[in-house]
Amino acid sequence: MTEQTVIQPRLMGRYRNVVLGALAVVLFFAAWQAIFLVVPFNPLFISKPSLIAAGFVDLVASGELFDDLAVSAVPFFLGLGAAVVVGVPLGIVMGWRVRIGYALDPLMTIFYASPLVALAPLLVIFFGVGLPGKTIIVFSLAVFPFIFNACAGVRAVDRRLIDVVRSLGGGEWDLYRKVLLPSVLPFVVAGARIAIGRALIGVLVGEFFAASEGIGFAISRFGDLFAIDKMFACILTVMVIAVVLTEGIRFAERSAFPWRRGQ
Amino acid sequence: MAELQADFAVTAAADAAAPARRLWRRLEPTALGAGGIVGLLLVWQFLPDLVPMKAGTKLFFTVPSDIAGTLWRMFATGSIWAPLGVSAGAFAIGLGLAILAGLPLGILLGRSNVLNAMFDPFITAFNATPRLVFLPLLLLWFGLGLWSKVAIVFLGALFPLLINTYEGVRNADKLLINVVRSFGAGEWDIARLVVVPNALPFIIVGLRLAIGRAVLGVVVAEFFGAQDGLGVVMVRAASEFKVDVVFAGLIVFAVLSLVMTGLVKLIEDRMSRWRPQQVSGD
Repeated sequence: MTEQTVIQPRLMGRYRNVVLGALAVVLFFAAWQAIFLVVPFNPLFISKPSLIAAGFVDLVASGELFDDLAVSAVPFFLGLGAAVVVGVPLGIVMGWRVRIGYALDPLMTIFYASPLVALAPLLVIFFGVGLPGKTIIVFSLAVFPFIFNACAGVRAVDRRLIDVVRSLGGGEWDLYRKVLLPSVLPFVVAGARIAIGRALIGVLVGEFFAASEGIGFAISRFGDLFAIDKMFACILTVMVIAVVLTEGIRFAERSAFPWRRGQ
Repeated sequence: MAELQADFAVTAAADAAAPARRLWRRLEPTALGAGGIVGLLLVWQFLPDLVPMKAGTKLFFTVPSDIAGTLWRMFATGSIWAPLGVSAGAFAIGLGLAILAGLPLGILLGRSNVLNAMFDPFITAFNATPRLVFLPLLLLWFGLGLWSKVAIVFLGALFPLLINTYEGVRNADKLLINVVRSFGAGEWDIARLVVVPNALPFIIVGLRLAIGRAVLGVVVAEFFGAQDGLGVVMVRAASEFKVDVVFAGLIVFAVLSLVMTGLVKLIEDRMSRWRPQQVSGD
Protein backbone atom coordinates (compact mmCIF):
# COMPACT_ATOMS: atom_id res chain seq x y z
CA MET A 1 0.00 0.00 0.00
CA THR A 2 2.62 2.48 1.04
CA GLU A 3 4.82 1.46 -1.87
CA GLN A 4 2.16 2.33 -4.36
CA THR A 5 1.63 5.76 -2.91
CA VAL A 6 5.33 6.39 -3.24
CA ILE A 7 5.69 5.02 -6.74
CA GLN A 8 2.72 6.75 -8.20
CA PRO A 9 3.85 10.36 -7.74
CA ARG A 10 7.28 9.35 -8.94
CA LEU A 11 5.88 7.91 -12.16
CA MET A 12 3.79 11.02 -12.53
CA GLY A 13 6.94 13.05 -12.01
CA ARG A 14 8.77 11.17 -14.68
CA TYR A 15 6.12 11.58 -17.33
CA ARG A 16 4.81 14.94 -16.16
CA ASN A 17 7.43 16.93 -18.04
CA VAL A 18 6.89 15.00 -21.26
CA VAL A 19 3.14 15.34 -20.96
CA LEU A 20 3.37 19.05 -20.21
CA GLY A 21 5.74 19.56 -23.13
CA ALA A 22 3.53 17.67 -25.57
CA LEU A 23 0.52 19.55 -24.26
CA ALA A 24 2.26 22.87 -24.83
CA VAL A 25 3.16 21.94 -28.42
CA VAL A 26 -0.40 20.85 -29.17
CA LEU A 27 -1.76 24.01 -27.53
CA PHE A 28 0.63 26.14 -29.55
CA PHE A 29 -0.47 24.71 -32.89
CA ALA A 30 -4.13 24.80 -31.85
CA ALA A 31 -3.85 28.46 -30.85
CA TRP A 32 -2.06 29.20 -34.11
CA GLN A 33 -4.86 27.55 -36.06
CA ALA A 34 -7.58 29.19 -33.97
CA ILE A 35 -6.24 32.73 -34.09
CA PHE A 36 -7.18 32.95 -37.78
CA LEU A 37 -10.84 32.71 -36.76
CA VAL A 38 -10.45 35.90 -34.75
CA VAL A 39 -7.79 37.94 -36.54
CA PRO A 40 -7.88 38.09 -40.35
CA PHE A 41 -4.14 37.85 -41.07
CA ASN A 42 -2.89 38.47 -44.55
CA PRO A 43 -2.40 34.95 -45.98
CA LEU A 44 0.49 36.30 -48.05
CA PHE A 45 2.57 36.74 -44.92
CA ILE A 46 1.50 34.08 -42.50
CA SER A 47 0.09 30.62 -42.86
CA LYS A 48 -1.79 28.32 -40.52
CA PRO A 49 -0.98 24.76 -39.47
CA SER A 50 -3.65 23.13 -41.64
CA LEU A 51 -2.35 24.83 -44.78
CA ILE A 52 1.26 24.08 -43.82
CA ALA A 53 0.37 20.41 -43.38
CA ALA A 54 -1.29 20.41 -46.81
CA GLY A 55 1.78 22.09 -48.29
CA PHE A 56 4.00 19.50 -46.64
CA VAL A 57 1.94 16.64 -48.07
CA ASP A 58 2.15 18.34 -51.46
CA LEU A 59 5.93 18.62 -51.28
CA VAL A 60 6.31 15.03 -50.17
CA ALA A 61 3.92 13.68 -52.81
CA SER A 62 5.68 15.52 -55.63
CA GLY A 63 9.04 14.35 -54.32
CA GLU A 64 10.36 17.92 -54.28
CA LEU A 65 11.12 17.86 -50.58
CA PHE A 66 13.23 14.72 -50.72
CA ASP A 67 15.06 15.86 -53.83
CA ASP A 68 16.00 19.13 -52.14
CA LEU A 69 16.97 17.39 -48.91
CA ALA A 70 19.11 14.89 -50.81
CA VAL A 71 20.88 17.73 -52.64
CA SER A 72 21.60 19.50 -49.36
CA ALA A 73 22.65 16.35 -47.54
CA VAL A 74 25.60 15.66 -49.84
CA PRO A 75 27.67 18.79 -49.03
CA PHE A 76 26.54 18.57 -45.41
CA PHE A 77 27.95 15.09 -44.90
CA LEU A 78 30.97 15.55 -47.16
CA GLY A 79 31.97 18.76 -45.36
CA LEU A 80 31.31 17.28 -41.94
CA GLY A 81 33.25 14.12 -42.84
CA ALA A 82 36.20 16.15 -44.08
CA ALA A 83 36.04 18.23 -40.89
CA VAL A 84 36.32 15.07 -38.78
CA VAL A 85 39.15 13.65 -40.89
CA VAL A 86 41.15 16.88 -40.72
CA GLY A 87 40.05 18.29 -37.38
CA VAL A 88 40.43 15.30 -35.08
CA PRO A 89 44.04 14.37 -36.01
CA LEU A 90 45.04 18.03 -35.99
CA GLY A 91 43.44 18.52 -32.57
CA ILE A 92 45.11 15.39 -31.19
CA VAL A 93 48.52 16.51 -32.43
CA MET A 94 47.92 20.01 -31.01
CA GLY A 95 47.02 18.56 -27.64
CA TRP A 96 49.77 15.96 -27.53
CA ARG A 97 52.77 17.85 -28.94
CA VAL A 98 52.77 20.79 -26.54
CA ARG A 99 54.88 23.07 -28.75
CA ILE A 100 52.68 22.53 -31.79
CA GLY A 101 49.78 23.38 -29.50
CA TYR A 102 51.46 26.62 -28.43
CA ALA A 103 52.13 27.54 -32.05
CA LEU A 104 48.67 26.81 -33.44
CA ASP A 105 46.36 27.59 -30.53
CA PRO A 106 46.13 31.40 -30.96
CA LEU A 107 45.78 31.05 -34.71
CA MET A 108 42.93 28.56 -34.42
CA THR A 109 41.27 30.64 -31.71
CA ILE A 110 41.26 33.64 -34.03
CA PHE A 111 39.71 31.56 -36.81
CA TYR A 112 37.16 30.04 -34.47
CA ALA A 113 36.14 33.37 -32.97
CA SER A 114 35.87 35.27 -36.23
CA PRO A 115 32.64 35.05 -38.20
CA LEU A 116 34.07 32.87 -40.96
CA VAL A 117 30.69 32.86 -42.67
CA ALA A 118 31.81 36.27 -43.87
CA LEU A 119 34.08 34.50 -46.33
CA ALA A 120 31.12 32.67 -47.87
CA PRO A 121 30.61 35.16 -50.75
CA LEU A 122 34.24 34.72 -51.69
CA LEU A 123 34.11 30.93 -51.48
CA VAL A 124 30.94 30.86 -53.54
CA ILE A 125 32.49 33.01 -56.25
CA PHE A 126 35.70 31.04 -56.20
CA PHE A 127 34.34 27.50 -56.00
CA GLY A 128 30.92 28.03 -57.52
CA VAL A 129 27.43 27.64 -56.13
CA GLY A 130 27.39 23.88 -56.52
CA LEU A 131 28.72 21.04 -54.47
CA PRO A 132 32.37 22.16 -54.07
CA GLY A 133 31.50 25.64 -52.82
CA LYS A 134 28.94 24.40 -50.32
CA THR A 135 31.19 21.58 -49.10
CA ILE A 136 34.07 23.97 -48.48
CA ILE A 137 31.84 26.41 -46.57
CA VAL A 138 30.54 23.55 -44.42
CA PHE A 139 34.06 22.24 -43.83
CA SER A 140 35.51 25.61 -42.87
CA LEU A 141 32.75 26.17 -40.31
CA ALA A 142 32.62 22.65 -38.89
CA VAL A 143 36.31 21.85 -38.57
CA PHE A 144 37.05 24.07 -35.55
CA PRO A 145 34.82 22.39 -32.95
CA PHE A 146 36.54 19.10 -33.81
CA ILE A 147 40.01 20.62 -33.50
CA PHE A 148 39.31 22.24 -30.14
CA ASN A 149 37.44 19.32 -28.65
CA ALA A 150 40.01 16.74 -29.74
CA CYS A 151 42.71 18.98 -28.30
CA ALA A 152 40.84 19.32 -24.99
CA GLY A 153 40.32 15.56 -24.99
CA VAL A 154 44.04 14.86 -25.25
CA ARG A 155 44.79 17.31 -22.48
CA ALA A 156 42.32 15.49 -20.23
CA VAL A 157 43.93 12.06 -20.78
CA ASP A 158 44.90 10.21 -17.64
CA ARG A 159 48.72 10.45 -17.38
CA ARG A 160 48.86 7.01 -15.77
CA LEU A 161 47.51 5.36 -18.91
CA ILE A 162 50.30 6.93 -20.91
CA ASP A 163 52.89 5.82 -18.38
CA VAL A 164 51.55 2.27 -18.42
CA VAL A 165 51.72 2.00 -22.21
CA ARG A 166 55.20 3.47 -22.19
CA SER A 167 56.51 1.19 -19.47
CA LEU A 168 55.13 -1.82 -21.32
CA GLY A 169 57.22 -0.79 -24.28
CA GLY A 170 54.63 1.08 -26.35
CA GLY A 171 55.88 3.61 -28.84
CA GLU A 172 54.42 6.91 -30.03
CA TRP A 173 52.10 5.17 -32.47
CA ASP A 174 50.76 2.82 -29.78
CA LEU A 175 49.99 5.84 -27.61
CA TYR A 176 48.00 7.48 -30.38
CA ARG A 177 46.10 4.32 -31.19
CA LYS A 178 45.53 2.80 -27.76
CA VAL A 179 45.25 5.79 -25.43
CA LEU A 180 44.77 9.09 -27.17
CA LEU A 181 42.19 8.24 -29.80
CA PRO A 182 39.85 6.27 -27.48
CA SER A 183 39.94 8.86 -24.73
CA VAL A 184 39.38 11.65 -27.22
CA LEU A 185 36.27 10.04 -28.68
CA PRO A 186 33.71 11.38 -26.17
CA PHE A 187 35.08 14.88 -26.68
CA VAL A 188 34.85 14.49 -30.43
CA VAL A 189 31.23 13.42 -30.18
CA ALA A 190 30.49 16.46 -28.01
CA GLY A 191 32.23 18.59 -30.63
CA ALA A 192 30.10 17.01 -33.34
CA ARG A 193 27.03 18.44 -31.64
CA ILE A 194 28.37 21.95 -32.10
CA ALA A 195 29.76 21.18 -35.54
CA ILE A 196 26.40 19.96 -36.82
CA GLY A 197 24.80 23.30 -36.06
CA ARG A 198 27.59 25.14 -37.82
CA ALA A 199 27.47 22.74 -40.77
CA LEU A 200 23.75 23.41 -41.17
CA ILE A 201 24.50 27.14 -41.22
CA GLY A 202 27.10 26.46 -43.90
CA VAL A 203 24.66 24.57 -46.12
CA LEU A 204 21.98 27.23 -45.71
CA VAL A 205 24.34 30.13 -46.42
CA GLY A 206 25.67 28.36 -49.49
CA GLU A 207 22.17 27.72 -50.77
CA PHE A 208 20.71 31.11 -49.93
CA PHE A 209 23.43 32.68 -52.01
CA ALA A 210 22.91 31.49 -55.47
CA ALA A 211 22.16 27.80 -55.56
CA SER A 212 19.49 26.40 -57.83
CA GLU A 213 18.52 23.43 -55.66
CA GLY A 214 18.65 22.28 -52.08
CA ILE A 215 16.48 22.89 -49.02
CA GLY A 216 17.90 26.36 -48.37
CA PHE A 217 17.17 27.36 -51.93
CA ALA A 218 13.66 25.94 -51.60
CA ILE A 219 13.00 28.06 -48.51
CA SER A 220 14.15 31.31 -50.10
CA ARG A 221 12.38 30.54 -53.40
CA PHE A 222 9.06 29.80 -51.68
CA GLY A 223 9.59 33.07 -49.82
CA ASP A 224 10.09 34.94 -53.07
CA LEU A 225 6.96 33.28 -54.50
CA PHE A 226 4.94 34.11 -51.36
CA ALA A 227 4.19 30.38 -51.08
CA ILE A 228 4.16 30.77 -47.32
CA ASP A 229 2.66 27.38 -46.50
CA LYS A 230 5.35 25.49 -48.40
CA MET A 231 8.02 27.76 -46.96
CA PHE A 232 6.84 26.99 -43.43
CA ALA A 233 6.73 23.29 -44.29
CA CYS A 234 10.39 23.41 -45.37
CA ILE A 235 11.42 25.45 -42.33
CA LEU A 236 9.69 23.03 -39.97
CA THR A 237 11.35 20.12 -41.77
CA VAL A 238 14.77 21.69 -41.23
CA MET A 239 13.90 22.25 -37.56
CA VAL A 240 12.89 18.62 -37.11
CA ILE A 241 16.07 17.41 -38.82
CA ALA A 242 18.22 19.71 -36.66
CA VAL A 243 16.54 18.47 -33.48
CA VAL A 244 16.84 14.82 -34.52
CA LEU A 245 20.54 15.22 -35.34
CA THR A 246 21.53 17.07 -32.16
CA GLU A 247 19.34 15.03 -29.84
CA GLY A 248 20.53 11.86 -31.58
CA ILE A 249 24.11 12.78 -30.78
CA ARG A 250 23.13 13.61 -27.20
CA PHE A 251 21.54 10.17 -26.96
CA ALA A 252 24.61 8.52 -28.48
CA GLU A 253 26.76 10.35 -25.94
CA ARG A 254 24.63 9.14 -23.06
CA SER A 255 24.53 5.52 -24.17
CA ALA A 256 28.10 5.19 -25.47
CA PHE A 257 29.89 7.15 -22.76
CA PRO A 258 27.63 6.88 -19.70
CA TRP A 259 30.49 7.82 -17.39
CA ARG A 260 30.55 11.29 -18.88
CA ARG A 261 26.94 12.08 -18.07
CA GLY A 262 26.35 15.68 -17.16
CA GLN A 263 29.17 17.20 -19.20
CA MET B 1 52.64 40.11 -5.90
CA ALA B 2 53.65 37.43 -3.46
CA GLU B 3 54.04 35.03 -6.35
CA LEU B 4 56.25 37.43 -8.19
CA GLN B 5 58.51 37.89 -5.20
CA ALA B 6 58.76 34.16 -4.66
CA ASP B 7 59.69 33.85 -8.31
CA PHE B 8 62.48 36.37 -7.91
CA ALA B 9 63.76 34.60 -4.83
CA VAL B 10 63.96 31.29 -6.65
CA THR B 11 65.62 32.73 -9.73
CA ALA B 12 68.15 34.59 -7.62
CA ALA B 13 69.09 31.37 -5.89
CA ALA B 14 69.44 29.41 -9.11
CA ASP B 15 72.59 29.26 -11.18
CA ALA B 16 73.38 31.56 -14.06
CA ALA B 17 71.93 29.42 -16.86
CA ALA B 18 68.61 28.77 -15.16
CA PRO B 19 67.02 32.24 -15.37
CA ALA B 20 67.23 32.29 -19.15
CA ARG B 21 65.64 28.88 -19.34
CA ARG B 22 62.95 29.87 -16.89
CA LEU B 23 62.25 33.01 -18.82
CA TRP B 24 61.95 31.02 -22.05
CA ARG B 25 59.61 28.58 -20.36
CA ARG B 26 57.32 31.40 -19.44
CA LEU B 27 57.53 33.13 -22.80
CA GLU B 28 57.42 29.99 -24.91
CA PRO B 29 53.63 29.77 -25.39
CA THR B 30 53.38 33.44 -26.34
CA ALA B 31 56.43 33.33 -28.57
CA LEU B 32 55.36 30.19 -30.40
CA GLY B 33 51.80 31.49 -30.71
CA ALA B 34 52.96 34.75 -32.20
CA GLY B 35 55.36 32.78 -34.38
CA GLY B 36 52.47 30.71 -35.72
CA ILE B 37 50.50 33.79 -36.68
CA VAL B 38 53.48 35.61 -38.18
CA GLY B 39 54.50 32.46 -40.02
CA LEU B 40 51.10 32.09 -41.63
CA LEU B 41 51.05 35.77 -42.63
CA LEU B 42 54.54 35.48 -44.17
CA VAL B 43 53.67 32.36 -46.15
CA TRP B 44 50.48 34.03 -47.34
CA GLN B 45 52.33 37.22 -48.26
CA PHE B 46 54.99 35.47 -50.32
CA LEU B 47 52.82 32.71 -51.75
CA PRO B 48 52.39 34.50 -55.11
CA ASP B 49 56.20 34.70 -55.45
CA LEU B 50 56.71 31.05 -54.54
CA VAL B 51 53.90 29.37 -56.43
CA PRO B 52 53.17 30.22 -60.05
CA MET B 53 49.52 31.19 -60.37
CA LYS B 54 47.26 31.52 -63.34
CA ALA B 55 45.88 34.96 -64.10
CA GLY B 56 42.39 33.75 -63.20
CA THR B 57 43.50 32.62 -59.78
CA LYS B 58 45.41 35.86 -59.21
CA LEU B 59 42.13 37.72 -59.62
CA PHE B 60 40.84 36.02 -56.47
CA PHE B 61 44.05 36.28 -54.56
CA THR B 62 45.14 38.92 -52.15
CA VAL B 63 48.05 39.26 -49.77
CA PRO B 64 48.09 40.53 -46.17
CA SER B 65 49.84 43.76 -47.11
CA ASP B 66 47.04 44.63 -49.55
CA ILE B 67 44.43 43.84 -46.91
CA ALA B 68 46.23 46.01 -44.36
CA GLY B 69 46.44 48.82 -46.93
CA THR B 70 42.74 48.56 -47.70
CA LEU B 71 41.87 48.51 -44.03
CA TRP B 72 44.03 51.58 -43.47
CA ARG B 73 42.39 53.42 -46.38
CA MET B 74 38.90 52.52 -45.14
CA PHE B 75 39.64 54.10 -41.78
CA ALA B 76 41.70 57.01 -43.16
CA THR B 77 39.02 58.12 -45.62
CA GLY B 78 36.32 57.32 -43.08
CA SER B 79 34.43 55.26 -45.66
CA ILE B 80 34.02 52.45 -43.16
CA TRP B 81 32.09 54.41 -40.53
CA ALA B 82 28.72 54.67 -42.27
CA PRO B 83 28.30 50.93 -43.05
CA LEU B 84 29.88 49.95 -39.75
CA GLY B 85 27.43 52.21 -37.93
CA VAL B 86 24.48 50.56 -39.68
CA SER B 87 25.76 47.10 -38.74
CA ALA B 88 26.53 48.14 -35.17
CA GLY B 89 23.04 49.60 -34.78
CA ALA B 90 21.34 46.34 -35.76
CA PHE B 91 23.75 44.45 -33.53
CA ALA B 92 23.12 46.66 -30.48
CA ILE B 93 19.33 46.76 -30.80
CA GLY B 94 19.06 43.01 -31.40
CA LEU B 95 21.37 42.12 -28.55
CA GLY B 96 19.65 44.59 -26.21
CA LEU B 97 16.23 43.14 -26.98
CA ALA B 98 17.60 39.62 -26.48
CA ILE B 99 18.92 40.59 -23.05
CA LEU B 100 15.62 42.26 -22.12
CA ALA B 101 13.65 39.17 -23.14
CA GLY B 102 16.10 36.40 -22.30
CA LEU B 103 16.95 37.22 -18.69
CA PRO B 104 13.41 37.51 -17.28
CA LEU B 105 12.27 34.48 -19.25
CA GLY B 106 15.28 32.47 -18.10
CA ILE B 107 14.62 33.38 -14.47
CA LEU B 108 10.95 32.54 -14.84
CA LEU B 109 11.64 29.14 -16.41
CA GLY B 110 14.31 28.42 -13.81
CA ARG B 111 11.85 29.08 -10.98
CA SER B 112 8.81 27.30 -12.38
CA ASN B 113 8.88 23.60 -13.17
CA VAL B 114 5.59 23.67 -15.03
CA LEU B 115 6.54 26.55 -17.33
CA ASN B 116 9.93 24.97 -17.89
CA ALA B 117 8.38 21.69 -18.97
CA MET B 118 6.01 23.52 -21.29
CA PHE B 119 8.65 25.72 -22.93
CA ASP B 120 11.28 23.01 -23.15
CA PRO B 121 10.27 21.54 -26.55
CA PHE B 122 10.26 25.00 -28.15
CA ILE B 123 13.60 26.00 -26.69
CA THR B 124 15.17 22.69 -27.72
CA ALA B 125 13.81 23.04 -31.24
CA PHE B 126 14.88 26.67 -31.71
CA ASN B 127 18.25 26.11 -30.13
CA ALA B 128 19.06 23.13 -32.34
CA THR B 129 17.98 24.90 -35.51
CA PRO B 130 20.29 27.43 -37.12
CA ARG B 131 18.27 30.64 -36.86
CA LEU B 132 19.43 31.45 -40.33
CA VAL B 133 16.65 29.23 -41.65
CA PHE B 134 14.14 31.90 -40.60
CA LEU B 135 15.87 34.64 -42.54
CA PRO B 136 13.71 34.42 -45.70
CA LEU B 137 10.61 34.50 -43.51
CA LEU B 138 11.88 37.46 -41.49
CA LEU B 139 12.73 39.29 -44.71
CA LEU B 140 9.15 38.79 -45.79
CA TRP B 141 7.80 40.05 -42.48
CA PHE B 142 10.13 42.93 -41.75
CA GLY B 143 11.36 43.80 -45.22
CA LEU B 144 14.89 44.65 -46.25
CA GLY B 145 16.70 46.81 -43.77
CA LEU B 146 17.14 47.35 -40.08
CA TRP B 147 14.33 45.32 -38.55
CA SER B 148 14.89 42.01 -40.32
CA LYS B 149 18.52 42.27 -39.20
CA VAL B 150 17.47 43.08 -35.65
CA ALA B 151 15.11 40.10 -35.68
CA ILE B 152 17.79 37.63 -36.77
CA VAL B 153 20.28 39.04 -34.25
CA PHE B 154 17.63 38.80 -31.56
CA LEU B 155 16.81 35.17 -32.39
CA GLY B 156 20.49 34.27 -32.46
CA ALA B 157 21.39 35.94 -29.18
CA LEU B 158 18.22 35.07 -27.24
CA PHE B 159 18.82 31.36 -26.67
CA PRO B 160 22.34 31.39 -25.23
CA LEU B 161 21.20 34.10 -22.80
CA LEU B 162 17.96 32.33 -21.94
CA ILE B 163 19.52 28.90 -21.47
CA ASN B 164 22.46 30.12 -19.41
CA THR B 165 20.23 32.26 -17.20
CA TYR B 166 18.04 29.22 -16.67
CA GLU B 167 21.04 27.05 -15.79
CA GLY B 168 22.26 29.71 -13.36
CA VAL B 169 18.90 29.96 -11.66
CA ARG B 170 18.67 26.18 -11.41
CA ASN B 171 22.10 26.16 -9.83
CA ALA B 172 21.05 28.43 -6.95
CA ASP B 173 21.60 27.00 -3.50
CA LYS B 174 18.29 25.57 -2.25
CA LEU B 175 19.43 26.15 1.33
CA LEU B 176 19.84 29.88 0.77
CA ILE B 177 16.44 30.08 -0.90
CA ASN B 178 14.85 28.29 2.06
CA VAL B 179 16.57 30.59 4.53
CA VAL B 180 15.38 33.71 2.76
CA ARG B 181 11.92 32.24 2.40
CA SER B 182 11.65 31.32 6.07
CA PHE B 183 12.47 34.94 6.89
CA GLY B 184 9.34 35.85 5.01
CA ALA B 185 10.68 36.70 1.57
CA GLY B 186 8.39 36.45 -1.44
CA GLU B 187 9.32 35.19 -4.92
CA TRP B 188 10.53 38.67 -5.89
CA ASP B 189 12.89 38.91 -2.91
CA ILE B 190 14.21 35.42 -3.57
CA ALA B 191 15.00 36.40 -7.14
CA ARG B 192 16.64 39.65 -6.08
CA LEU B 193 18.63 38.35 -3.11
CA VAL B 194 19.62 34.81 -4.06
CA VAL B 195 18.78 33.72 -7.56
CA VAL B 196 20.03 36.60 -9.70
CA PRO B 197 23.35 37.14 -7.89
CA ASN B 198 23.99 33.42 -8.09
CA ALA B 199 23.10 33.26 -11.77
CA LEU B 200 25.23 36.25 -12.79
CA PRO B 201 28.36 34.34 -13.81
CA PHE B 202 26.22 32.05 -15.94
CA ILE B 203 24.48 35.02 -17.50
CA ILE B 204 27.85 36.55 -18.34
CA VAL B 205 28.94 33.36 -20.10
CA GLY B 206 25.64 33.41 -21.97
CA LEU B 207 26.33 37.01 -22.95
CA ARG B 208 29.71 36.01 -24.33
CA LEU B 209 28.15 33.33 -26.49
CA ALA B 210 25.35 35.68 -27.48
CA ILE B 211 27.79 38.29 -28.77
CA GLY B 212 29.34 35.77 -31.12
CA ARG B 213 25.92 34.70 -32.39
CA ALA B 214 24.81 38.30 -32.77
CA VAL B 215 27.82 39.21 -34.92
CA LEU B 216 27.15 36.15 -37.03
CA GLY B 217 23.53 37.24 -37.36
CA VAL B 218 24.45 40.72 -38.55
CA VAL B 219 26.89 39.38 -41.14
CA VAL B 220 24.51 36.81 -42.57
CA ALA B 221 21.47 39.07 -42.54
CA GLU B 222 23.39 41.73 -44.43
CA PHE B 223 24.55 39.21 -47.00
CA PHE B 224 21.02 38.35 -48.01
CA GLY B 225 18.64 41.05 -46.99
CA ALA B 226 20.02 44.53 -46.63
CA GLN B 227 20.90 47.58 -48.61
CA ASP B 228 23.61 48.96 -46.39
CA GLY B 229 25.96 47.79 -43.69
CA LEU B 230 29.42 46.28 -43.60
CA GLY B 231 28.12 42.90 -44.79
CA VAL B 232 26.65 44.55 -47.87
CA VAL B 233 29.98 46.23 -48.58
CA MET B 234 31.61 42.80 -48.39
CA VAL B 235 29.17 41.06 -50.73
CA ARG B 236 29.49 43.85 -53.30
CA ALA B 237 33.27 43.69 -53.02
CA ALA B 238 33.20 39.92 -53.52
CA SER B 239 31.15 40.23 -56.67
CA GLU B 240 33.58 42.85 -57.98
CA PHE B 241 36.57 40.61 -57.11
CA LYS B 242 37.85 43.11 -54.54
CA VAL B 243 39.05 40.29 -52.34
CA ASP B 244 41.06 42.58 -50.06
CA VAL B 245 37.89 44.45 -49.09
CA VAL B 246 36.17 41.18 -48.15
CA PHE B 247 39.06 40.24 -45.88
CA ALA B 248 39.21 43.75 -44.43
CA GLY B 249 35.52 43.45 -43.54
CA LEU B 250 36.07 40.03 -42.00
CA ILE B 251 38.89 41.44 -39.88
CA VAL B 252 36.72 44.33 -38.67
CA PHE B 253 33.92 41.93 -37.71
CA ALA B 254 36.37 39.55 -36.04
CA VAL B 255 38.09 42.32 -34.06
CA LEU B 256 34.73 43.72 -32.93
CA SER B 257 33.62 40.30 -31.80
CA LEU B 258 36.92 39.60 -30.02
CA VAL B 259 37.00 43.00 -28.29
CA MET B 260 33.46 42.66 -27.03
CA THR B 261 33.84 39.09 -25.80
CA GLY B 262 37.14 40.18 -24.21
CA LEU B 263 35.37 42.99 -22.35
CA VAL B 264 32.72 40.59 -21.12
CA LYS B 265 35.46 38.18 -20.05
CA LEU B 266 37.03 41.00 -18.03
CA ILE B 267 33.74 41.65 -16.26
CA GLU B 268 33.36 37.93 -15.70
CA ASP B 269 36.82 37.60 -14.14
CA ARG B 270 36.16 40.59 -11.91
CA MET B 271 32.85 39.29 -10.72
CA SER B 272 33.77 35.68 -10.20
CA ARG B 273 37.11 36.33 -8.55
CA TRP B 274 35.77 35.13 -5.24
CA ARG B 275 34.07 32.00 -6.44
CA PRO B 276 35.50 28.64 -7.50
CA GLN B 277 35.36 27.89 -11.20
CA GLN B 278 32.11 26.08 -11.88
CA VAL B 279 30.51 27.93 -14.74
CA SER B 280 29.70 25.87 -17.79
CA GLY B 281 29.54 27.12 -21.32
CA ASP B 282 28.92 25.25 -24.49
